Amino acid sequence: MMSESEPNEYEISEWQKPEKKRRGIGGIFGGLWKAYVNFLDWSNLKPLLIQIGWAISSIILSMFVASLIMLATGYDPRIAFETLIFGALDQPDQILWYATPLIFTGLAVALAFKAGLFNIGAEGQLYMGSMAATVVGFMILLPPVIHPFIALLVGILMGGVWALVPGLLKAYRGAHEVVTTMMMSFIAILLTQWLAAGPLQEPGQIQPQAQTPRIFITAQLPKLFGSNFLNFGFIIGIFAVIVVWLLLNRTVLGYEMRAVGKSETAARAAGINPKKMIVISLFISGCLAGLAGAVEILGYHHRFRDGWSAGLGFDGITVAVLGANNPIGVLFGAIFFGFLRAGSIPMQTLGGVPAEMIDVIQGLVVLFVAAPKIVQWLAKKGIGWAKWIVKEPVKATPIFLGAIMALIGGIAVLAVGAGMLGTLVQAGLIGDIFNLIMTDPFIATHVGILTVALIFGLISLAVFYGMIVTRRWSPIILIPSSIIWIAIGYVTMILYGGTLLIPLVVLGVLGMVFAIWSLILIYRQDVSYMEVKTSAT
Amino acid sequence: MQLDPATLILFGWIINSTLQVGTPLVLAGLGGMFSERSGIVNIALEGIMLMGAFAAVAATYFTDNPWIGVLVAIISGVLLAAVHAVICVKLKGNHIISGTGILLFAAGFTTLMLFVIWGVRGVSPGVTPLPEIYLPGIGYLSPLIFIMFALVPVCWFVLYRTPFGLRLRAAGEDPSTLDAAGINVEKYRIYGVLLSGAFAALGGAQLSIGFGSWFGKGMTSGQGFIALAAMIFGNWNPIGILIAGLFFGFTRGINFALQIAPGWDWLVGVGNFIQMIPYVSVIVALGIIRRSIPPKAIAIPYIKEKEI
Repeated sequence: MMSESEPNEYEISEWQKPEKKRRGIGGIFGGLWKAYVNFLDWSNLKPLLIQIGWAISSIILSMFVASLIMLATGYDPRIAFETLIFGALDQPDQILWYATPLIFTGLAVALAFKAGLFNIGAEGQLYMGSMAATVVGFMILLPPVIHPFIALLVGILMGGVWALVPGLLKAYRGAHEVVTTMMMSFIAILLTQWLAAGPLQEPGQIQPQAQTPRIFITAQLPKLFGSNFLNFGFIIGIFAVIVVWLLLNRTVLGYEMRAVGKSETAARAAGINPKKMIVISLFISGCLAGLAGAVEILGYHHRFRDGWSAGLGFDGITVAVLGANNPIGVLFGAIFFGFLRAGSIPMQTLGGVPAEMIDVIQGLVVLFVAAPKIVQWLAKKGIGWAKWIVKEPVKATPIFLGAIMALIGGIAVLAVGAGMLGTLVQAGLIGDIFNLIMTDPFIATHVGILTVALIFGLISLAVFYGMIVTRRWSPIILIPSSIIWIAIGYVTMILYGGTLLIPLVVLGVLGMVFAIWSLILIYRQDVSYMEVKTSAT
Repeated sequence: MQLDPATLILFGWIINSTLQVGTPLVLAGLGGMFSERSGIVNIALEGIMLMGAFAAVAATYFTDNPWIGVLVAIISGVLLAAVHAVICVKLKGNHIISGTGILLFAAGFTTLMLFVIWGVRGVSPGVTPLPEIYLPGIGYLSPLIFIMFALVPVCWFVLYRTPFGLRLRAAGEDPSTLDAAGINVEKYRIYGVLLSGAFAALGGAQLSIGFGSWFGKGMTSGQGFIALAAMIFGNWNPIGILIAGLFFGFTRGINFALQIAPGWDWLVGVGNFIQMIPYVSVIVALGIIRRSIPPKAIAIPYIKEKEI
């Protein structure tokens, strides 16, 4: 017999009932709260976090390799990064100005990639778009607000048309888009060069250059915040990010594009026409690249000059790759590369490091992002920790990073202690060190720091071992050790000057963060590396 | 029919510049062929050529022996290709993203080193070029041109008449069968990529110390991509690549020849359109004439079943 409490299968149970729609302010807040909870849901957050984590790791790794290249070629990486970072932060408008075209070209590459296409010829679409916008800008008279609008529109369409040819060839003739977009790109560059040096050349130049006349002032985009560089194009860029995000994630067209990108056969089985989607995606991608060119001309250059872009289309590939083809990721990627570009000039003039270093870093970032399976590879090679990170990344990664911090901090502090010991030995003070400690307070402090540094250096190395084998005591000791690293940095700076403090503070803060994180993990769950080591094969 | 001497000289010039400019395209195209036949897309050819061109000039500058320059160029090309091989074959990364990364890295690195070694931003100082060989009627030619002509039949033989070539092609067409035969697919794919690095770098050396005697920032100017186009045009076949590469070389070389020829200077105005011929012909060939048939398993990482 069925008891009363058991659910009747014909009765709608509680969770099946349609949810009561709340309207008004409460509804909005409820929706926001739900969105927030949804965002925090681990299963949604995990792939996102892994991608962000890998993007940041790639940046750090490429900076590291770039530092090695700088050391090998005789430049000081510390000075380079100092001038780069502070130089860029001094001129935030330039960061966003450099980022503006990268947002569009990044979106162009990312959108095509979502549809399974590689638009490597964004450069050519950008040139065609910029030339079309320039022609509208200096040949047609229109009222102020309408003029840039029409010019942008023509630029967008021209870029789209230029990408339409590879799209049609890919869809109906099977020609690979990597080759055809690239060929179209070279044709565009040669064609615009011919136009700028021939029929559309600015008349009456003293030394003739391949450039068109200036566009009318009615066609120019306004500058923002009184900057000489940053213009309204950046706002169009933010707008484009939102539009592309909505297109990809909230429309049928975007869904169909992504479906074709995931699997063409599956999409066809679901009733989607992959050929149509290939043509449409490349067209929209070309439109975005064309918009990049149009915005740059109307916002800053104000005329087409041969070779003005110097690789903005290629940089779009980097931005899309770093942003994991996500529109919001592209925005951050573009701002990051804008940051590098803005800082490259001060790095060259103040730090004496050639600005080309930025291109090297850019290439390295792409290479590292292209190799996300590196941890899996190490795991396959039988390195236990890599195995654990692959198996349980959430638990293993913070503990691993904490261990790395302990290792680096320990070595750094030991090096400080050894350095001080070396100075004492050189000065020949070791012989009657006990007398000196009693009489000379300066020497006494010196020896005190030295002892603390050596002891805590060794303790940090012990913590490294403890973290690696996930002993419970290790994060507890890592916290005071981190504080000691910072203290040693501070005291040595007061006593002897130098900039040892900054790296030690960074190490200390990171060490503490990972220590607390690992502490929670180790105490909350029964985490053990040894288990994985023995079980995994 | 009587040809006047001026026309004969012009023909000589055109043949000369066709060979000089076409050789890097054929060499890099052969490199691309080895890589793509083994199943790895290599759009890094452009970057490897640039690196080869730079390494050749740098090594010649320090040793004053252009043949050492050629050797160092090949070594640098193989090293750069090794990065691509590790990412694509071992780490199963995306071939095109990895290639783009190498492209960007090579462009930045060579410009940086140009500044580090010579303190200049545009063009390096001149170095000793390879000893040229004189052919009557055509003029002085780089020795790498003859090496290229010798390499084409060798490549054909290796690809179609040796076990190595069979395995390389199988890695790109049907890797699981190759694996079932007990042969390491990854190994042959790595060989393919490394060979492509060596050939592309040799092409780069022809650009910098064969045809010219200096290195300039971004001096390949898209020739790696034209080489890829020549490879597709030549249907992934050494003989086809030779013909396609020389044809594209002809369209580029005709500009050099006609600019200095009397009576032909009106062509300078439409030089941009002559330069477009390789690009347009690739689009026409791919889109209209026939479908190109690349190796079947291209750009698909090979994962052994037990590893899944």
